[in-house]
Amino acid sequence: MAKAEIRKPKPKSNPLKAADITVIDYKDVALLRKFISDRGKIRARRVTGVSVQEQRKIAQAIKNAREVALLPYSGAGRG
Amino acid sequence: MRPYELMVIIDPEVEERTVEPTIDKFLNVIRNDGGTVDNVDIWGRRRLAYDIQKKSEGIYAVVNFTANPDAAKELDRQLSLNETIMRTKIIRPEEQKVSAK
Repeated sequence: MAKAEIRKPKPKSNPLKAADITVIDYKDVALLRKFISDRGKIRARRVTGVSVQEQRKIAQAIKNAREVALLPYSGAGRG
Repeated sequence: MRPYELMVIIDPEVEERTVEPTIDKFLNVIRNDGGTVDNVDIWGRRRLAYDIQKKSEGIYAVVNFTANPDAAKELDRQLSLNETIMRTKIIRPEEQKVSAK
């Protein structure tokens, strides 16, 4: 019974639920900024703690926002 | 007829007062085709996340309209021909809303 100690990952709080957001809009830069790293990369789902469907929407919104220069493409900051 | 959302980035050297009439002129494409312009929102000057055409600023404007796909396409084409318009993007906002429910 050495396997009894399986570490349960602690459930992450869903940042979208916390902010009470239902529609992910590419114009909402303040929200999307939470989901990119300081290098401009999209954060992984295991970091953000959102659902698969939400992550997909977020990723698409970030990509749309990048097209209109609201968010940087990754590496654009030259950091 | 479908709802669309258009975002344009206009050259920052353009006078901000002239932006609205300029966009309105383009939107006649929609009106002549039987579509409706629901909302025009000029955000004003904004810093770009990266340079476009060697410019670090742009005047943003967001337009919500309802139109036929062909009219939307034609609007996008005409906007892209204008040199003071640095970037355009048309999306269908309703797609997201429907699936988010």
